Amino acid sequence: MNMAKWGKNLFILISTAIFVNGHAWSAPPDTSPQGFAWKDSAEIYAKICAYCHEAQVAPPIRNRSLPPEYIRAVVRNGNRAMPAFRASVIDDESLAKLADFVSKSETGY
Amino acid sequence: MASKYIALPKGVSETVFDTAISRFREILGDTAVLTNAEQLAPYIKTMMPVPDADHAPSAALLATTVEQIQKIVAICNQYKVPIWTISTGKNFGYGSAAPVERGQVVLDLKRMNRILEVDKDLAYALVEPGVTYQQLYDYIDEHQLGLWLSVPAPSAIAGPVGNTLDRGVGYTPYGEHFLFACGMEVVLANGEVLRTGMGSMPNSNTWQVFKWGYGPYLDGIFTQSNYGIVTKFGFWLMPAPPAYKPFVIQYEHEEDIVEIVETIRPLRISGVIPNAIVIAHALYEAPVKARRSDYVSGPGAIPDEAVRKISKDHKLGIWNVYAALYGTQEQIDVNWQIVTQAFKQSGKAKILTEQEMGDDPAFNYRAKLMRGDMTLTEFSLYNWRGGGGSMWFAPVSQARGSETLKQMALTKQILAKYGLDYSGEFIVGMRDMHHIVDVLYDKTDPAQTQAAYQCFDELLTVFSAQGYGTYRVNTAFMDKVAETYGPVQRKIHKTLKDALDPNGILAPGKSGIR
Ligand SMILES: Cc1cc2nc3c(=O)[nH]c(=O)nc-3n(C[C@H](O)[C@H](O)[C@H](O)COP(=O)(O)OP(=O)(O)OC[C@H]3O[C@@H](n4cnc5c(N)ncnc54)[C@H](O)[C@@H]3O)c2cc1C
Repeated sequence: MNMAKWGKNLFILISTAIFVNGHAWSAPPDTSPQGFAWKDSAEIYAKICAYCHEAQVAPPIRNRSLPPEYIRAVVRNGNRAMPAFRASVIDDESLAKLADFVSKSETGY
Repeated sequence: MASKYIALPKGVSETVFDTAISRFREILGDTAVLTNAEQLAPYIKTMMPVPDADHAPSAALLATTVEQIQKIVAICNQYKVPIWTISTGKNFGYGSAAPVERGQVVLDLKRMNRILEVDKDLAYALVEPGVTYQQLYDYIDEHQLGLWLSVPAPSAIAGPVGNTLDRGVGYTPYGEHFLFACGMEVVLANGEVLRTGMGSMPNSNTWQVFKWGYGPYLDGIFTQSNYGIVTKFGFWLMPAPPAYKPFVIQYEHEEDIVEIVETIRPLRISGVIPNAIVIAHALYEAPVKARRSDYVSGPGAIPDEAVRKISKDHKLGIWNVYAALYGTQEQIDVNWQIVTQAFKQSGKAKILTEQEMGDDPAFNYRAKLMRGDMTLTEFSLYNWRGGGGSMWFAPVSQARGSETLKQMALTKQILAKYGLDYSGEFIVGMRDMHHIVDVLYDKTDPAQTQAAYQCFDELLTVFSAQGYGTYRVNTAFMDKVAETYGPVQRKIHKTLKDALDPNGILAPGKSGIR
């Protein structure tokens, strides 16, 4: 077997091993260097806000035309039992969009 | 001249702090070093009955890599700047994201949030500190791994690293979280990186499957401690069972806790009921369904008659025992027989399943927690009093009926002295119970805030005098609880601290250790 062919076979062998490894033993590891990032405001709303604000734990906040500045301030400072959310959890840009989303929202999310 | 900082670390001048901050900026960039009041506001809010200013940080650092953290500790050592590490930073009722001492710099690892590995066959995960339960839940779902998490009640927004490092609990068979931790990576105060257990050996593939490694077991000293910064964390996940049967058993009298515990203990120790069962008092469950102001007004603790009326009106027991069976349908059927036989004996228990309780909001969220699903419904507790004040009083009890009754009565009596209600539950370990009481008060009312502080102080004093220790406490009372465990343990903790962190840069004051 010449070297080039051997190299090709080795490549196939390794990639098969990776494939098998990925599927039979474990899920492929998350290799994204950035880690987690929110997809959009709807996701943030569903995965943070809705657990209380759509579950009779805290007052509804959608469809009330709450001013976005007010929403941003409450998210950052908290309000009585409502926890404050840090920029490391919801970054400034996402929060600006989320505040608009909550303020303007009409139906569904 | 007014300082440009909202607080300064103890013993550090503004000029020295300026230098430290500019060095942090060199490592992290300007946007990841927070110093102004607006940026730091979310780190300041706590639920404790002390001025938030007492726990205000001087800055927050948003690090994302081990190398950054190594450089940060080097600067901290050089300028004697103390840091307070948080992972997801949702330690509500224990201090939230605020540091134990005013002026500490918060090292916020929320953005260090990669899921490094989830092994389907060996059922474990390896994650970074900022990973939330929700993130992991979605990942498992997306990749169809068939694994269940065990989560604390703030599930979605909290995370496994911070929760387990503070020795938190959940409600599945894996509910005692630190029992299921396996392998950590820790940045030490001198900048070295330790991988505990099997992780110490190069090329080992058993880091997340064998806890003990070789020689003294070290993972424990990095929990509830300030000896290192955990940057990777391994833990075991539960294979999703083919069938799941949550249920609640209701009892009508406070004294019935004796019978409940005596009946449950053998079932729990033998594994017939495998999960971290909760025995919740009516007042712990009531806020999901009722408002305090509908039953009582004016000062003072809620009277027993009102509690009885609430439980009648809202289909609650005075005690509500939430538990579940897991396995194949056949296994569940056999165990259900054993459970119902045991509880039916005295004729006092009302046994209810999903069939009768399917729509009940209290049952629903408990059923979610016992399978590691996402819910924040337990935050209803804060609608009881309003005003956002809360401290968890968390003494450990034997799993013995007479002991639980004694602890409940004592807690209730001390709370009543200060006009506060008994919102309590017992989380059942095999031989122990975490007696968990939410000391709820209105933080916007100065008199009630002061009463809550004094009440908590008295609870700790009286309980420790009777030999009852607390398992975990908020940052305002850490020194007091450390005292209750006696001088020898305190000295050992200090000896370790001096050896591992001679400049005292890592969270001085955590668990009373400096
Ligand atoms: C309604 C309600 C219900 C609750 N129910 C439960 C419950 O069922 N079970 C329970 O356990 N708790 C419960 N809690 C308390 C608390 O909210 C949870 O324990 C939560 O998981 C802790 O926050 P976290 O996970 O974000 O951890 P963090 O706040 O990130 O960390 C907790 C602590 O661990 C230490 N730490 C964190 N990260 C590191 C690190 N990388 N290196 C070294 N040390 C570190 C720090 O001292 C930090 O303060 C409840 C709170 C509320 C409000």
